[in-house]
Amino acid sequence: MKFLFLIPMVASLFQPLSGQTKDAAKSSADTELLRKSAMEIDRHIAAFYKEKKLSVPEVTNDATFLRRAFLVSIGRIPTAEEALAFIEIEDPAKREELVAYLMKSQGYSSHMTNWAFDLLRLRDGRQGSQATNEPYRNWIRKAMDDNMRWDEFVTSLVASSGNGWDPKTASVGYYTIDRGMPLDNLSNTMRIFLGSRMECAQCHDDPFGKTERKDFYHLAAFTNGQYQQNQEHMSDLWRKYQDDQRNRGQEYQVAQLFWDRIYGMSLSGGGKGQIELPSDYQYRDGDPGEIVGAKTPFGKTVRMSDKKVEGDGREQFADWIATRTGEQFPAVIANRMWHRIMGKGIYEPVDDYIDAKQTVHPELMSHLAKLMHDLDYDLRAFQHVLMLTRTFQFATNPKPSTLEGGDDFHGRKIARLSAEQIWDSLISLSSGDPDKKPVRTADSRIFVGGNPVLVGQMDMIQLSNDVLALETEQQVTAYFNDFLAMVKNGGGKKGKESESMSMGMTAVRKYGKDSPVRASELPSPAPREHFLYLFGASDREVVEGASKEPNVGQVLSMMNGYVQRQLVANSGAHVYKSLEGASSDGEKIRRIYLAILNRPPTEEEMGWMKEEIKNRGEEGYRNIVASLVMSSEFLFLQ
Amino acid sequence: MKDILNKADEPTRRQFMQNAARAYLGVHLFPMLGSSIASAAAEGAAKGAKAKHVIYLFMSGGMSHIDTFDPKPKKKDVMGPSVAIPTKADGIELGGYLPKTAAVTDKMCIINSLNSTQGAHEQGSYIMHTSYSQRGTIQHPSLGSWVVKLGGRIHPELPGFVAVNTSPEYTGGGFFGAKYSAAPIGSPDQGLQDSRRFKEVSPEDFSRRLTLADKLNTQFHNRYPNADVKAYEELYREAIALMNSKDLNAFNLAEEDAETRALYGGGNFAQGCLLARRLVENGVRFVEVQLGGWDTHYDNFTAVEGRCKEFDQAYAALLTDLNQRDKLQDTLVVVATEFGRTPEIKKEHNDGRDHHPNAFSCVLAGGGVKGGIKYGETDASGNKVRKDTVSVQDFNATIAYALGLPHDLVLMSPTKRPFKIADKGTPVTSIFG
Repeated sequence: MKFLFLIPMVASLFQPLSGQTKDAAKSSADTELLRKSAMEIDRHIAAFYKEKKLSVPEVTNDATFLRRAFLVSIGRIPTAEEALAFIEIEDPAKREELVAYLMKSQGYSSHMTNWAFDLLRLRDGRQGSQATNEPYRNWIRKAMDDNMRWDEFVTSLVASSGNGWDPKTASVGYYTIDRGMPLDNLSNTMRIFLGSRMECAQCHDDPFGKTERKDFYHLAAFTNGQYQQNQEHMSDLWRKYQDDQRNRGQEYQVAQLFWDRIYGMSLSGGGKGQIELPSDYQYRDGDPGEIVGAKTPFGKTVRMSDKKVEGDGREQFADWIATRTGEQFPAVIANRMWHRIMGKGIYEPVDDYIDAKQTVHPELMSHLAKLMHDLDYDLRAFQHVLMLTRTFQFATNPKPSTLEGGDDFHGRKIARLSAEQIWDSLISLSSGDPDKKPVRTADSRIFVGGNPVLVGQMDMIQLSNDVLALETEQQVTAYFNDFLAMVKNGGGKKGKESESMSMGMTAVRKYGKDSPVRASELPSPAPREHFLYLFGASDREVVEGASKEPNVGQVLSMMNGYVQRQLVANSGAHVYKSLEGASSDGEKIRRIYLAILNRPPTEEEMGWMKEEIKNRGEEGYRNIVASLVMSSEFLFLQ
Repeated sequence: MKDILNKADEPTRRQFMQNAARAYLGVHLFPMLGSSIASAAAEGAAKGAKAKHVIYLFMSGGMSHIDTFDPKPKKKDVMGPSVAIPTKADGIELGGYLPKTAAVTDKMCIINSLNSTQGAHEQGSYIMHTSYSQRGTIQHPSLGSWVVKLGGRIHPELPGFVAVNTSPEYTGGGFFGAKYSAAPIGSPDQGLQDSRRFKEVSPEDFSRRLTLADKLNTQFHNRYPNADVKAYEELYREAIALMNSKDLNAFNLAEEDAETRALYGGGNFAQGCLLARRLVENGVRFVEVQLGGWDTHYDNFTAVEGRCKEFDQAYAALLTDLNQRDKLQDTLVVVATEFGRTPEIKKEHNDGRDHHPNAFSCVLAGGGVKGGIKYGETDASGNKVRKDTVSVQDFNATIAYALGLPHDLVLMSPTKRPFKIADKGTPVTSIFG
């Protein structure tokens, strides 16, 4: 057997690894339960085939399963080593073991993070402000890493309040990134967590009669009143520095730091529970300027007073979303996860909820909603179950779904990889397993005028907690002056020297846009000339704005651009290094195939490729790598 | 336009490339010639149809009409700190942030009576670009894709539709397929990225790679006959024709002299406008350039002033430059946005303005449109349209009319549903000279 050198790791590669995840122990779902849940889903699908008199699709081969499982769960193709281990091993339980291995991989949370960033429109910076979304970004990243339960995740976002820098409350970014547009923020909340489309009702009654403008305002009352904490104590001080256009020295920079990056990133109160109808309110059931109390439009009704400010609107709203909307809340996230794993949603678009009864498979939809609830909103366990189903293993069906707007459950639909999946796969080929690289860390250093100051002495978390606790104008002024003096006393100089050193205990680790690391660790959004953007990564201006539309720029990039520089022409690329020690042309070709397409070459292909080496010698390997990466098989998920 | 049929130069390289493409794709180059329905369309073309190209400048985020093209100097409460200034066109005033545009207003037709049914960014941008409301079940082609589909390409190798700094969501070919999607430009200075063969790859190896990939793809396509997979095959053909074009320099801004570059000003939008001019000169049908950042809920006046700084010089330069080169007569320059902004100024958001689809402004210039005029009118505070409402679809029908394209021609989607370039819109014909 070839590749014997790999065999020692084969046996252990896919065994469940202990201690790899933080919550392995508290995982509510043991293997047996997962397996049983998967079988139950398969029974629903089988019933569907029987009822529709359809033939049941075959189960796909190992190589296709391997690549599919890697891409949907951890967002990259397997390395040659991983591919070989799986294909060579003969163990009836190997598919199950592979899924367990993947769900525990670092890559799982990286791939989920891309999804969450698209959903929440996570951009690192904010236009026209020194405020940053870094701490919020880090909060989401960590929540995905910890596999935070979905209901807890949503509640933490929607009911958030407090200091934007403190890791405990950094989820306030959910509101502060949309400062000035609370109504759009609300529309998005309804859309992403409940699949309820209310954008129209922001301005007028929905012509299809589902939602009236007044309903929208009743709902907006819950989250109304999103202010900065205690910012009024700094107003005069800030105005003084802002008005003085000539002086843009350190005083101004520190004032701006306080105003934009501390106050500007905080969120006070908890939601008023009441709101004024807008000045252009046009219907008879209310007058412009009239105050209305909070009221939910469906589910178990929750109301708040229009007479007095109760002040915990966001908490009540979050609680309603997660616990009082019946099947809707679990069904929406269950369908989203089905879409992620199976490639198509049971209904689509996934952010336009329809009642289970109106879907093509009511029993399955209800069952999935219940499963989501029973698994305690553990998204990893839920996806684990889906990947254990026979349905997930169905052979590829190249035809589009026969049902408009949803899955016809008839075999895996062929689909282009997302921009992030392509990127993460390419960097695996060029630089090896990206999940062995450390993730990006939050930068909570204090920056004044672009330079870090007081490094090792104080960070933004401490500083912001101090500042937000100040209760009078005098206190703010005094603190401001003290801090300014500290900075002027050489804090800046010192900072420069220790920049590369430790910040507290952990070094700050950030990656530039071209670093060969997971897309989840790169700046967000990718710049417009970036490979990711070219292949349709979301600009994160709108909810789930990613696109899989082909364009000519993508093909040029594959032939002449990034793929050439980073992979094909890069002699140090991992894919070439893995050829060392191979004894024959045939073995080298086989290794290249395993690395890029994750399967051995067919006999015919082996013939073509050997011919290439015969004609072009060593250069031929580059041509082989280039052609495999350019092939549709690389770009599409089967 | 350069003579595209005269391709005698660089015979060896050209021949090689064509052979490579043939080997790879099994088809002849220039499949686009004669493949459009342009010739049929031209028969019934409107008499006012003078435009051959469109430069579509999209102000993303919702441009405040009151602070730009529809000022209300008599209403202080609506204007806030904004002022109105006189322009080169009699009786037309513009917002004070647009001094250079004011000097070319004699070339512009300002439409003040746009009205959209969509008040959120995504839906608003979508309907402006496609004439249809967003649906979960179908992706509608973008305006540029429609124009190329109905009008055909002019240059056979350069893309018919190029998009600078835009969102792929709104510049896709939709159900027309990938070959009608815009070729994307991220940074105008870099031009069309990766359009030249990687320097270390010899022509022979390049050809070998394509040949190998072609063999692999043939296998794959036979196994999985699928439209999306097919789309990439077509794109390789496009890409090779493009790499092969002697007019590839159309994308190279370095060919412009420093004076011209300075005329437009710095930044991606300004240089994108200059690139658009180069591209239409070289026979590109439709160029879209985006300028973002108009979502001025917060601190509207500072933000609008900043956006106008980017816009004003570049736009004025574009009209002036096109005019000097005799290209304004057959190039329609469009300024569009997804909606306007409220007359009401939100104090609690540091003088912000919210979305306002009820009434907003767009601008047409060149391509046979009369200059120095206004069309439509809003009420005293810019809140509602008072006269000559122009729907989003009417606006797009007017663009089609300028190009002599049949705005009422029905094309069927692959799912056998009927669509038109401007849905049920009717063109505003009185603005043409």
